[in-house]
Formats: sequence, structure tokens, C-alpha cells
Amino acid sequence: MKALWVLLKIEIKLAVREFSGILFGIMIPMGLILLLGALYGDKLANDQANYTMLQQSFAAVVTIGIIATGLMGIPLTLSSYREKRVLKRFQATPTSPAQLLLAHFLNNFLIAITSSILVFLSAKIFFNYTMIGSLWNFIVIYLLITISIYSIGMLIASISPSVKTSNLLCTIVYFPMLFLSGATIPYEIMPEGLQSFANFMPLTQGIKILKGVSLGMNMNEFLSPIIILAVTGIVCTIISIKTFKYDY
Amino acid sequence: MENEIIVVTGLTKKYGQVKAVENLNITVKEGEIFGLLGSNGAGKSTTIECMLGLKKRDSGSVQILKMNPLTNRRKLFNEVGVQFQESYYPDRIKVKEMCELTSSLYNKPIDWMGMLKRFELNDKTNQTVSKLSGGERQKLSVILALLHNPKVVFLDELTTGLDPAARKEVWKFLKGLKEKGLTIFLTSHYMDEVHYLCDNISILNKGREIITGTPDEVIQNSGEENLEEAYLKYIKQEVVK
Repeated sequence: MKALWVLLKIEIKLAVREFSGILFGIMIPMGLILLLGALYGDKLANDQANYTMLQQSFAAVVTIGIIATGLMGIPLTLSSYREKRVLKRFQATPTSPAQLLLAHFLNNFLIAITSSILVFLSAKIFFNYTMIGSLWNFIVIYLLITISIYSIGMLIASISPSVKTSNLLCTIVYFPMLFLSGATIPYEIMPEGLQSFANFMPLTQGIKILKGVSLGMNMNEFLSPIIILAVTGIVCTIISIKTFKYDY
Repeated sequence: MENEIIVVTGLTKKYGQVKAVENLNITVKEGEIFGLLGSNGAGKSTTIECMLGLKKRDSGSVQILKMNPLTNRRKLFNEVGVQFQESYYPDRIKVKEMCELTSSLYNKPIDWMGMLKRFELNDKTNQTVSKLSGGERQKLSVILALLHNPKVVFLDELTTGLDPAARKEVWKFLKGLKEKGLTIFLTSHYMDEVHYLCDNISILNKGREIITGTPDEVIQNSGEENLEEAYLKYIKQEVVK
């Protein structure tokens, strides 16, 4: 337990020093919510809507912290730890590298949660944001999305032989998810062809549910996307554990 | 025998078709300093990694402190220290953080600040590991391998990159630890170091054991004047099939 705590503490210090995780995971989503708030204020989402543009976008912006940490932070750090033989060093100590990975997972998760809380507070304080749906449901779906996205990140970390490959795979997965899943550009304004492509991405499904529950819809209406996320999480986690190597 | 700390029998490791280590036998007794010698690529690091269970061996058996490294990993590494030839560290980590982190992994770590002082690194605690000089980093990696007061330590090219004064310092330190009963398995390219430190040595060539014995026995056997000459003679020799 003590080892996990020290590992986590030092990983947090390193993340702050490294800074890109803080920038992409916390500052960008905060900037985006402030921008959206300033642009749309409390404008309604559409003519028939009983919720504002900000209320509609909130859930999507919250997920940026998850993908920045899960699809950049986790795979890039892990594959550089492998390439630099940091993992191998740990393999020759009584720790299990699983402990090291857990510390890493928690560190990124802390960044994501900090990001989401700050996004929530900015929306609330500056633009009077209120969540229509249940906060409890919101948190459950938030965790489900995190597990699913982090499992993809760990899968990339496991199958990449080098930082270079991992960087490439991260870019291929991260940027389409960032721009096409509705996290930054609203899904609603995309042309239909793009929408059906975007639907393949787990994050698009995740944002649909998160948006739905934040606007007060019932979770039952999202049974199939919930199953997609859960299956993605389970499958990717299993493959990433099976293919994990200390060094190449 | 009771006090055999390391027993390796018939260790073989292949990379594809190439045999990196072939049918190697090593026995190291308690309190002994054992040196594994050979040119770059002779299979020294592979041998250490297979012994520790970090790489899978193809055949043979290894016992360290009467434990099988493959099945008793966690217990074993609480009593075994390892210094790798290439000691890499997480980016931007500081000396004191690396010491704190490594200490936290063990049941009974020793006072690392005292160790840093002993090696005159105590004024570098706040420095990033990557900004240390090569010699300082090498000293740090030796310290990290000894932080948990192990019974056996593996040192892969421990003094490479150290200046002569620092090398002597490390030698003195290791001799002191040996007096206290530490068993040391090392590799080195410096024959003066090997002659000074090692009780027994084994020379490897293309993964095979050429000769084993005390440094003086090896010199005598070779008919040369010193260990350096003896070593050069043995590694030039073709492997007898």
C-alpha cells in the first residue's frame, strides 16, 4: 500500500513537471467550456429544446479530460517506460509491474477527474450551468466511459513495440475521437455520413449516453451503447493484459 | 553444500537459432565475489537476465538463495539487488525521488540518505537523474541496487564510466560489504578490478564457458603474466567443440 502511494505521488509530480497531460487534459477542456459559455450563453439548443446549448455541450467537453489522459497519457508514458527499460528495472524488484500500472492509471484518472470538476465549476460559476438529469447516473456513465477509453489506451501501450508506434496509434485514435465524436464539435451539426462514421467510435457512444443522462433522459434508453462500451472495456483490458511485455 | 548461494546448471538461451548462452554452470558461495567475464556480446547480460528470471531460459536450472527466480519472484527480489548495465529512469525524476520510490518497494529499506552521503551524492538529491554525470549516475545505480540490504547483488559493469578515484571508492565499499557477508555477482571489463575484487571468475566466449577458477589459477593456467593477458588469450581462443 505504501509503495502504491509513493508511486502515485511521484507519478503526479512527474506529470506536473511534464505538463502536456495538464495542458491537454485540464486546460484545454476548461478553455473550451469558457469559450462555449461566452459564445452561446444561455441560448437554447434548438427551437423546440427546453435546455441550453451549454447544457447540451457540457457532457461532451467533460470527456476531453478522459481521452487526453487515456489515449495520450497512459499509452505514451507506458511505452516510454518500456523503451527506457523502466519497467524492466521494476521487474527486478518485489513490486509487481501491475502495481506500477495501477499507479499510472490512478494518476491519469486524477487528472481527468480534476479536469471534469473544474469544467463543471467554470460552467456553474460563470454561466449558471445546472445539470437537468441525475448526477448519480452521470457519474456511473462517466466511469464506464473512463474504463472503456483507458482500456483502449492500455491496449495501445501493450501492443506498441516502441514509443514511435505508440505515438502513431495514439494520434490515429485520439484526434478522430477528439474532433468527430462530439467532444469538441457538436455531433448534431455533422453531416449524416460523418455521423455514421463517428458512430463506430466508442467515445461517440459514450458521449451520447452522457449527454442523454445529463439532460435527464433515462439510462434504459441507451442499453446498446452501454453494452458497446462495456464490451470494449472488457475485450481491450483482456488483450492488453495478455499481450503485456516488460520489454521488447 | 550448505552455503551455495547461486547454483546454475546447464543454462542455455537461444535467440532464434543463435545460442546466446550454452550449457553454462556456475556456483557461487556465500560471501564470495564472482566475476563473469567476456567481450561485448559474449552473453554476460543475457546470463544475468536468465538467472534472475527476467528472460526465459530454454533449458537448465537456476537456484538463487534456494529459490527458483521464476516462481518466487517477489520473495527473491526482497533479498537480491540488481544493477543493470543500462540503468534507465523515468524522465525528469529527481535523485531523491528515485531513492524514495525504490525504498518504498522493499520490506526493510536502509537509510538512503546515508548511502548518498557515503558516495558523495548528498548535494545532488534535488537534481534530475538525467542531469547527473555518467559517473554519478553509475554510483546512483549501485546505491539503488543496495537500498534494501540484499543478501546477493548482481552488478553488471558496475564501474564503467567511473573515474579512477570513484572506482577505488566503489571497490573499497564492495569489499566492506563482502566482509559483512554479502555475495556479489559481477561483470566487468577491467581486469585490475576483477583481480582485486573477485574470488572466482569465469570467462565466456560466444556463450560458452572457457575457463573457471580463481584469478591466480586462470593466470597460471594460461601461462601468461597477468590477468589482462590471460583474458585476452582466452577470448581469442576458438571454442573447442
